[in-house]
Amino acid sequence: MRHFSEEELIAYQLQENSDAVAISSHLENCRECADVSESIAETLRVFSAEPAPQPDLERNWHRLRANLSVLTPQRRSRFEFLRWNWAWPATGLAAAAIVLLTVFGVYLHRSGEMKRNVAVNGHGPITVEPADPAIASHLEAAERLLTEVNNSSGPLDEGTREQAHSLLLQNAIYVRNARNSGALGEAAILENFGRVLTTLDNEPATEHSTWRLRLEMNTSGLLLDIRILQQNDDRSQGVTQ
Amino acid sequence: MDKTETEAIRDVLAGDRDAYRVLMDRYFSSVTRVAFRITGNEADAEEAAQEAFLRAYNKLSSFRQDSTFSTWIMRIVMNTAINLVERRNRDLSYHASRIDDEPSPTDHTVRVSDKQSGPETMLLNREAASLRRTAMAELTPMERTAFTLRHMEDVPMAEIAAALNVTSNSAKQAVFRAVSKLRRSLTPVAGGLR
Repeated sequence: MRHFSEEELIAYQLQENSDAVAISSHLENCRECADVSESIAETLRVFSAEPAPQPDLERNWHRLRANLSVLTPQRRSRFEFLRWNWAWPATGLAAAAIVLLTVFGVYLHRSGEMKRNVAVNGHGPITVEPADPAIASHLEAAERLLTEVNNSSGPLDEGTREQAHSLLLQNAIYVRNARNSGALGEAAILENFGRVLTTLDNEPATEHSTWRLRLEMNTSGLLLDIRILQQNDDRSQGVTQ
Repeated sequence: MDKTETEAIRDVLAGDRDAYRVLMDRYFSSVTRVAFRITGNEADAEEAAQEAFLRAYNKLSSFRQDSTFSTWIMRIVMNTAINLVERRNRDLSYHASRIDDEPSPTDHTVRVSDKQSGPETMLLNREAASLRRTAMAELTPMERTAFTLRHMEDVPMAEIAAALNVTSNSAKQAVFRAVSKLRRSLTPVAGGLR
């Protein structure tokens, strides 16, 4: 009898599992899985929605209105379509990235069968021991920032640039920690991320700056590396039972 | 998107900033509620909601009306609230008012009043709230956001993923990790891990 993992049972309780009928009938016959499933349901009940405070709409509107500038209508240029001239190179790059991802995925799958450590973009083995539990949060922030960089067509907004500035110092600490703990692959990836952050923090935002950053620093490849680091981190923390 | 919203956006873009009130009346409460779930306190929730509405206003000309305004503003507020939480975590000198069972001016905590509770219920609520707060503090901002929106606000996974700018699978994993961590946090008191 195949038991279901904690992750599958969480998905079942959140109604995110397509195999609900099979799980439901298994739970009727398996005491062990039924206990885990009930414990998950109990957790969800404990964390059910608490009342949220109601904002004062009138006060908030007056506060907001004071900060609103009067917008002036923009005239559409006759040559608007020329702005889309980046679409073809972007499509080409995306196709190349998909091919690379597929090849890389097959490689990872095969190498994963042989050994637990994985190599990322030639940086050498990455440790499966999490050096610092807080790095999960840092990697998440890195993933979100790089996704924004990869998907923005114009200059990045002030909020994203501020975020890059604040991540810069934090990143330097994680690079040092990774180096000290011998995780050289992880250190190399975070160093590359640090270069992206430094560029974002120092260079003025122009119409083509984000596009140039993507080409010069291969932010798509870096995003893939960061996601793999996250997965390694998840695996080492053992989300599943 | 309905006609009233489309007209309000058109009027704002034509220079009538008061037309923005229509959108604010419709969505400010839900936006603040989502921000509250992420930040965990009323003051930060209002600040994040204000910032989100201001950012949406300033970017309104780039808003493509093929998606709804509500989805767009939710995406903005989630990012704003997560950034605010990360900023607060770095700034150790900041202490916003937080919800607690024992309100204390020195700890900057307040209590949301519950007029219908008796002493016994209040005691149980107090213990449960304390337990929840400790467990939630263990989650990363993304895990907390993904979990609260999926479980408490019933937001579909695809919408959470779009708002967080991650893949649907990453959002799902964040929710699963959150539930797993919360379950382990309950182990000592409720036999959470059997």
